[in-house]
Amino acid sequence: MDTVSLLKCLSGADSPSGYEDEVLKVVEENIKPYVDLVKKHKMNTLIAAKRGQNGKKLGIFAHADEIGFVVAKLEERGFARLEPIGGVDPKVVLSQRIKIFTNQGIATGVVGFLPPHLQKEDQKDKVPDYNDIYVDVSCSPLCEAVSVGDICVIEGRCASLGDKLSGKALDNRASCAALILAARELETIKNRSDVYFIFSSQEEIAGPGAVYVAYELGLDGAIVVDVTHGNEHVPQMPQIKISEGPALAVGPVVNREFYKALCDVAKRHGVRTQIEPTPGRSHTDTDEVQITRSGIKTALVSIPLMYMHTPVELVDPRDVEETARLLSLASTVDL
Amino acid sequence: MKGVKAMYLKELSELDGVSGDEGRVRKFIEEKIKDKVDSLKVDIMGNLIALKKGTKSNRKFLLAAHMDEVGFMVTNIEDDGTLSFGPVGGIDPRVAVGKHVRIKGELAGVIGYKAIHLQRKDELLASPKFENLRINIGAKSKEEASRKVEIGDYVTFATDFRCENARATGKAFDDRAGCAALMEILEKGQRYEDDLCFAFLVQEETGLRGSAVLFEQLCPDLALVIEGTTAGDDPGLPEHQWATHLGDGPAITFMHRGYVVNKKIYESILQVARKYDIRHQPKRRTAGGTDAARLAKTGGGVPAGVISIPARYIHSPLSMIDLADFNNTVLLLSKILEEGEGFAK
Repeated sequence: MDTVSLLKCLSGADSPSGYEDEVLKVVEENIKPYVDLVKKHKMNTLIAAKRGQNGKKLGIFAHADEIGFVVAKLEERGFARLEPIGGVDPKVVLSQRIKIFTNQGIATGVVGFLPPHLQKEDQKDKVPDYNDIYVDVSCSPLCEAVSVGDICVIEGRCASLGDKLSGKALDNRASCAALILAARELETIKNRSDVYFIFSSQEEIAGPGAVYVAYELGLDGAIVVDVTHGNEHVPQMPQIKISEGPALAVGPVVNREFYKALCDVAKRHGVRTQIEPTPGRSHTDTDEVQITRSGIKTALVSIPLMYMHTPVELVDPRDVEETARLLSLASTVDL
Repeated sequence: MKGVKAMYLKELSELDGVSGDEGRVRKFIEEKIKDKVDSLKVDIMGNLIALKKGTKSNRKFLLAAHMDEVGFMVTNIEDDGTLSFGPVGGIDPRVAVGKHVRIKGELAGVIGYKAIHLQRKDELLASPKFENLRINIGAKSKEEASRKVEIGDYVTFATDFRCENARATGKAFDDRAGCAALMEILEKGQRYEDDLCFAFLVQEETGLRGSAVLFEQLCPDLALVIEGTTAGDDPGLPEHQWATHLGDGPAITFMHRGYVVNKKIYESILQVARKYDIRHQPKRRTAGGTDAARLAKTGGGVPAGVISIPARYIHSPLSMIDLADFNNTVLLLSKILEEGEGFAK
């Protein structure tokens, strides 16, 4: 499968935190041909292992879950209220189709919005919030089946915009794709570590995901792959640009030598990278993985992405491919 | 109601025709109705006007629906390759955030939003404004974007049409539902006593502009405007503020902005609905306006009535109608026409 098709396929899997089964199935199908072992962990994490030659263990992590919702309340005549799973800006939820996973199948509803004609003055500038948001499920034959506790996502559509791609859950499916592509490239790389590709759960709610796997595997090194804000102006920070390769984090949550070794191997092989200063916590799984057991040499590699946590997250598939190259080369770094 | 299945609603909903750019919709309608009318023309404004002779021809009865929908126009191509845009018609910036859009009916784009992680507190608590929204077409620079887009290009939401549980969801039901209803009438292939003028109008959403040039061309004796109107029967409003109810039949307007409906016509519509026991409802709010107001004010003035298909969430990427309401609207309309000269006599 080419990179764009793989990304579209992963983006299309609906798997909010805690319900990663669907995306892990897609991951498993696609990574299986390139690894020696695939196993599903009891905590909804998939581990794919590729044996190496130098006796060291490198873990490459990407969380597979996405943001979403849960039905929190039902109202009469087919309306449901939502609570977010993870950081979903209520401003992006209005007028979206919502897929609700009921025990009888998927009910698709729409988030309503009061037309300008009927808005009173005090409603005109009101910031959307979950108190006002409701899903109209009256347009679904499964309307009656919707229950409190049903998991939901905004219905996604992954569109090519020129050579870019825009859709939902590319945070962090772009990284999942990079891991799969890296597994494929490992075939051609000699004298390397054992590599464990770990597709973890519940990152979006800062839940248990990567940590216990890092604990169990007893890794010598870890790379966490996530997405970062691309083409944004963040005060006092260099702008991470879309289409210019993965960003390598530098800061206390990252092992400095490992970081430098990654920069070095990237440079030698002509992989474009960018630097992302991370003075404090990174708010990725890196923060926890680094302090697992007696400490793990950890690096953070991020794929530039625009409009994070909206249904139109945007990436350049070439950045995903560059990231995959870097990850496969990382298996040759001395740990 | 048998046999009526809103046959053209899907195509009409998915066609892009923002006010001033109704060509695609017009072409579609023209193609479908040209063999079912006696004559057809497109006027200077872009209205599609079809005539069907009556058996008595003592009156000219105008039936109007507007083809245009609310949407956007590209107002600038920025240095970073993104597009600034402004609303065409009454559209709230809050519904634009995080949507897939289509430019010129073909080019894909998205309206992104600053990641929640990066929003300062004042930004988190600020309602989205058009000045802060951009369309991204994947272009890296102004030069690259300029090869694909021009200032003035029209933009619509890339919404697909669905119909489940006897409810349709999609964009532009205001007023493609009205266009579809008029097309269903023409599908019947029937002649009535009055001469009928079918007008598929432009630029309703930008101030009832297409209908302004009808009188001079047609001099109709009376008119009916078929609209997709606001419902509001959802948790966004307390029940006493609901305008119409989905599923309760076509809404008959007593008055809206700028026009109290001609009493004779209003009462005649109700009489026909009662006579044939067609489910209908009054429009309970006077908010919004239709081409009926313009028709009443132009030339010598045309007495006009308004029959509307209730639609939730209009002027957004996703509106919703009940198919039974659509079918009852077509039924009511055909019964009105069957009354011939007896209607609003």
